[in-house]
Amino acid sequence: MIEVKNVSKTLDNMDVLTNVNFAVKRGSIYGLLGSNGAGKTTLLKLVTGILLQDEGDILISHQSVFENPPVKNRIVFIADTLYYFPQYTVKQMANFYRSVYSTWDEKRYEKLKDVFEIDESKKVQKFSKGMQRQVAFWLSFSAMPEILVLDEPIDGLDPVMRRKIKNLIVQDVADRGMTVLISSHNLREIEDICDHIGILHKGEMILEKDLDDLKSDIHKIQVAFKGKTPENLFGNLRVLYKEERGSVLLCIVAGDQEMLTEHFTRSNPVIYDMLPLTLEEIFIYEMGDAGYAIKNILV
Amino acid sequence: MFDLDLRSRKPIYEQLVDKFKELIINDVLQIGEQLPSVRTLAGQLTINPNTIQKAYRELEMQGYIYSIKGKGSFVNESPDAANSEKLKRIKKDLEKLLSEALYLGMTVKELHAFILEIEKSVGGGHIDD
Repeated sequence: MIEVKNVSKTLDNMDVLTNVNFAVKRGSIYGLLGSNGAGKTTLLKLVTGILLQDEGDILISHQSVFENPPVKNRIVFIADTLYYFPQYTVKQMANFYRSVYSTWDEKRYEKLKDVFEIDESKKVQKFSKGMQRQVAFWLSFSAMPEILVLDEPIDGLDPVMRRKIKNLIVQDVADRGMTVLISSHNLREIEDICDHIGILHKGEMILEKDLDDLKSDIHKIQVAFKGKTPENLFGNLRVLYKEERGSVLLCIVAGDQEMLTEHFTRSNPVIYDMLPLTLEEIFIYEMGDAGYAIKNILV
Repeated sequence: MFDLDLRSRKPIYEQLVDKFKELIINDVLQIGEQLPSVRTLAGQLTINPNTIQKAYRELEMQGYIYSIKGKGSFVNESPDAANSEKLKRIKKDLEKLLSEALYLGMTVKELHAFILEIEKSVGGGHIDD
């Protein structure tokens, strides 16, 4: 559905994105993660056709997005800083959306009124940050987009509303095969609904994978031995992190569960524990591998 | 229907597979009974429909359910083939665990007592499989 091929973008003489590749399938929920300033927002602006890439192709259903209204009609983008026309009420904003999106569903808009419980005759800009975000979702879901692009969507929403929004997203994905692209650094928030993950760092995509594969491909292992730890314990495994806590060795290793178990039990450890990683841990260690490590700062 | 632990380290689709297996093995879901549709479950649990599809595919591959196009997924009769496949895997796992237990100093007698204890808690040992 969404294809990004060898895309590069320079803004103000800074290379924001270099040679980024990824694809999002129809009906998939894709989570775009990245360190601060990695280029997430720029990438989303390219995908939605707000900016034009310097190099490469961005295709939606094999068509280029930039300056292509029929394609843009199928996309709704909720940016990280929302914009509403000054003095416009929710109702007036809805009228504007209706005039822009041919897919607008009035019945849906009326139905969602009960979900959000917002007075539609009030001016949007007078609302709080969280309320404005709710209005954005209300309008977006009513526009029935084929592709929903969200930049830091859950910022400023309370837990109940987050759950409601996620539920609406998931239902739209299940019902009509909506495709979703979400950027976030709040990993816990997107861990439960995404199926694919891409990690962006300094303008490059350093990792792109099915979330379940990713989780089953990297493990946290605790081992301890009677006496000394055998030399060359790791062999040629890819070790992302290791730390000795007393006599227990804690390490993060990439590899298949069975293969790792076999590898480690061969050296007869006294303790052997294997835990799947949380997305947060994967992010931290993969980024550490890419030279973006956590350093404890002493002031 | 059931709840998942979204904070758990275990992948959600694995949790789903395990939950359904449990329900099928304990006859909460009976033979021929229809499983909730992907849509319903996604809405109920607020999880990605693709994850549910993946779990259903896995269950089908292991022989616990079968699906009819356009109708949905149903609990399979007796997953014989799947059982033997599963048994093989369990045996392999047990072999690993038992040798570890023996290595760590557990005696055969202790293991035997342990097995009897488990058998009791599972339900008297008269499971006709």
